[in-house]
Amino acid sequence: MGKINIKIKPKHLVNYSIVLVMLLIGVVMLYTGNLRPSIAQLFTQIGYSIVLAVSLNFVVGFLGELSLGHAGFMCVGAYIGGLSAVMLKQALGASAKLPVLIIAMLIGGLSAAVFGFIIGLPSLRLKGDYLAIVTLAFGEIVRNIFMNQKIFGGARGLTTGSLTYDTRRAPTLFIVTFIVVLIMLIIIQNIVRSKHGRAITAIRDNEIAAKAMGINVTFYKLFVFIVAAFFAGCAGVIYAHTTTPVLYTFFSYNYSIEILVMVVLGGMGSITGSIFSAMFITVVNFMLQSQLSGDLASLRNLIYAVILIVVVIFSNAPALKSFREKYSLAALFATLLNKKSSDPSKRKDDEAKWDRVPTKIKMDALLSTDLNVDYTPARPEDLRGGKEGK
Amino acid sequence: MITLIDGLSLGSIYALIALGYTMVYGIAKMLNFAHGDIIMVGAYAIMVTLAATVSPIAAIIAAIVICTILGILVEKLAYKPLRGASPLAVLITAIGVSYFLQGLAQLVFGSQPKPVGSAWKLPAIKAINDIGITTSAAVTLICGIIIMVALTLFIKYTKTGSAMLAVSEDRGAAILMGVNVNKIISITFAIGSALAAFAGMFYLFQIPNTEPTLGAMPGITAFTAAVIGGIGSIPGAMVGGVLLGVIEKFCLASPLAPYTVAIKFSLLIVILLVKPTGLLGKVVREKV
Amino acid sequence: MKKTLSLVLVIAMSILALAGCGGEGSVDGYTANNTEYFIGGTGPLTGDASSYGISVQNGANIAIEEINAAGGLNGVNFKFDIKDDQAAADKASTAYDQLFEAGMQIAIGSVTSGSCEAFATKAASDSLFFMTPSASAEICIAEPNAFRVCFGDPDQGILAAQELTANYTNIGAIYDESDTYSAGIYEAFEAEMAALGVTYTVKTFNAENNKDFSTQVEALKDCDVIFLPIYYTEAGLIAKACVAKGCDAVLFGCDGLDGIAGQIDETVTNQIKYITPFDVNSTDETVANFVTAYEAKYGVKPDQFAADGYDAVMAIYEAMKAAGINDVTIAPDALCEAVVAAITAEGFTYTGATGTMSWDVSGAATKVPVIIELNK
Repeated sequence: MGKINIKIKPKHLVNYSIVLVMLLIGVVMLYTGNLRPSIAQLFTQIGYSIVLAVSLNFVVGFLGELSLGHAGFMCVGAYIGGLSAVMLKQALGASAKLPVLIIAMLIGGLSAAVFGFIIGLPSLRLKGDYLAIVTLAFGEIVRNIFMNQKIFGGARGLTTGSLTYDTRRAPTLFIVTFIVVLIMLIIIQNIVRSKHGRAITAIRDNEIAAKAMGINVTFYKLFVFIVAAFFAGCAGVIYAHTTTPVLYTFFSYNYSIEILVMVVLGGMGSITGSIFSAMFITVVNFMLQSQLSGDLASLRNLIYAVILIVVVIFSNAPALKSFREKYSLAALFATLLNKKSSDPSKRKDDEAKWDRVPTKIKMDALLSTDLNVDYTPARPEDLRGGKEGK
Repeated sequence: MITLIDGLSLGSIYALIALGYTMVYGIAKMLNFAHGDIIMVGAYAIMVTLAATVSPIAAIIAAIVICTILGILVEKLAYKPLRGASPLAVLITAIGVSYFLQGLAQLVFGSQPKPVGSAWKLPAIKAINDIGITTSAAVTLICGIIIMVALTLFIKYTKTGSAMLAVSEDRGAAILMGVNVNKIISITFAIGSALAAFAGMFYLFQIPNTEPTLGAMPGITAFTAAVIGGIGSIPGAMVGGVLLGVIEKFCLASPLAPYTVAIKFSLLIVILLVKPTGLLGKVVREKV
Repeated sequence: MKKTLSLVLVIAMSILALAGCGGEGSVDGYTANNTEYFIGGTGPLTGDASSYGISVQNGANIAIEEINAAGGLNGVNFKFDIKDDQAAADKASTAYDQLFEAGMQIAIGSVTSGSCEAFATKAASDSLFFMTPSASAEICIAEPNAFRVCFGDPDQGILAAQELTANYTNIGAIYDESDTYSAGIYEAFEAEMAALGVTYTVKTFNAENNKDFSTQVEALKDCDVIFLPIYYTEAGLIAKACVAKGCDAVLFGCDGLDGIAGQIDETVTNQIKYITPFDVNSTDETVANFVTAYEAKYGVKPDQFAADGYDAVMAIYEAMKAAGINDVTIAPDALCEAVVAAITAEGFTYTGATGTMSWDVSGAATKVPVIIELNK
């Protein structure tokens, strides 16, 4: 990738700090003996959810391609990385936990990256919803193929019981997971910072203009898909270390959508947002599962759905805009720090304000949506603003 | 031959669902992920009314009324506040609605699949049955085509239909021309949901069990069908649905049966790579 | 700023190194405050498979009520908590930790095989005894602390193969390639049929994808018998597809077929047979009492999962009684040791809603399978 200009922006520092603080809290709890294994597992889940959300955000928020198949990459990583970890563990012995995890993560990540390359290819030709459905299809295809492989356990799933990393006395997998999160943040944030990142956001904002400027669109699109798939694959390997069996049912499009929900809730193109919403959703799921046992369990879907709808409407409805600006977290911080609240015109370069989403996701302007009549292209305003009903 | 007929009848169910997807997408510009779950509600409505009245006609009417009202309600509560916001936000609320309906159905009816009842049966038509075609297959196929034609005529020749076209084409201009966009979108949802009720009805003829997740996989398959046909295109939805149904059945009959899902979705990818806007979708030139 | 970056990594790595040395947490003694014996479990209470989880939950609740009404164990009551795992392994292992930390001492494991494998892995490292009602995959009871109430997948596949080859000539089979239970039975069936040297026709389906069975039934139309190692809801649909296609083959299934009576109507003329340990119409006193209590409480007749759930809890209770447990705060591993010894002891039998059974160290229940014919 050439030389990457390493400078830490304050915003990026915030992201590192959040992760480090969580890591420290976990470790302190571990040492003082307050870390229950279920909480350690929650930490691990938060960790790999962050990896998934941020890597998907790299595709959706920065490159501007809607992907509904992220769980498919995770599936590849979990199955291939999981199987190689099981075999490695047999070869190296049970004590080699960490080396096995790291090697498996590389194998799982790389094989997912190969699939990232494959799914990146159609993205060169397809746009918007069409690409979205292709990625969704890809996720289902991957699942279906793994389900039918005897070597991966077929319908019974891949038994990864021997990989169990956490023990009741030393649940330490979350530490490795958070280090993976940190490494991912360093890589992705620095790509985003660099000229490559600008090229990627340029493709998002206007592909044709980007091409005209001499940006190698093919290369960058594939590159983003490969990087995102690699990290999703790593998350899959971590998942394989927490759960046995690795079963294809987990990686359905519902899970891809859950990752997408994390990205959308956090704000497209906002890495901090993805981190927080990944935490939020994982914790909500955990709380709902632990609180609603027995007969109350059937309420879970309802509560989750209502939370989802209310949060999305609250944070997106045009009618609530002024209310939001008044009471948003950013405004709160601004008053606390006695600063002027962020002016939308002074928006930072990589901060795609997601109520005016990139061209590609603004499906209406680009797609054939007419019913039997000739299509007239949208007006320039539509292409730029993304607002409807002017 | 029999496989082909089975495929056609499964395909026409997909096609009916895909019609709903395509309608809503073409006009409201949103992927209504909850469409499959409206089918599920329709199926439950049929089951409950049938148990209460033993009249299939009443059951069909109840399903259509309930689905239509539900469609309008969902649109008003969950989608309308987001008009003008990012399409992705709407996509997420649609998913939320889908979870909600599934959760509600489970709460009310339990998650156990329930047989719809023996009153829900088409009378045997001996002439077709003798050549190995089930009545439900024949009826589904014919009704699918009728509904498609009716829909096309409705859009072409009624005032509401033209207004829908106008909204689909250029919402801003439609408003300027005095079209009540909110009303048109509500009507679209109403029609889409009524179609879902029909789909639920035919689904139950073929697969006479109701369950809370009944709509999920047919919904996704139908969405795939709509995209294969060119999303937004009504004949496209029909073609895509039937094509998928037939291919699925031929896969199941062949030794490749375990890979049916993979083949079905690979077909989608291949078709889109060859024709990026689907079989009957219009090619749009991108302008700067 | 490069420094800051490397600092971030150095901090992270040193934390890892420190933690790698092994943090010693004080994580014992979760059961110290128990005032009732705590039986835990996980099962799908929502989602596609939830009917099984809910049935087990209901059955287990009946058993708990019965035990507590009779004064519990030496005057100490039992508490039962089942967490929703949506039939997903990762949720089951989270749920296991939550239950364990809430003071779970003994468990009914998980309802479905995949979840139960995850549950078993966790339970093995804690030496927690569990008796799964319905997870039939062999891997679930691989560890010495794991027991089950239901038949194993391979046993049923082998039995079915022998039964079918003995009585029929033209044999067909339909199984769900996406389901652990179905694929498990079919694998054993396939192997046994190969060993017997009998040929047959097989069709598959994927319940996740499609529940329209016209093609499969069409292909097996001329068979004398169709083997259905699947669950009753799909089997009901297959029976109806048989009617539509004019296929009059005998439908032969395993314990998953129990409950099919509620799925079909009088138009289905096919003879339906299945291997099951539980007959809801049985006149046996234990069974009848259970069925009455269940119907009074839940308004429906119990299915086999409910009976398994009931038996799992009752068997745990009987084994604890036989082991002479009298400390309500007993730790899971100590309890496990005592209960395993008691349950595998010569002469320990338990008679419940799914028949009379005994256990050996393998964890599998020894009981007599019955082939039931559905009369209409």
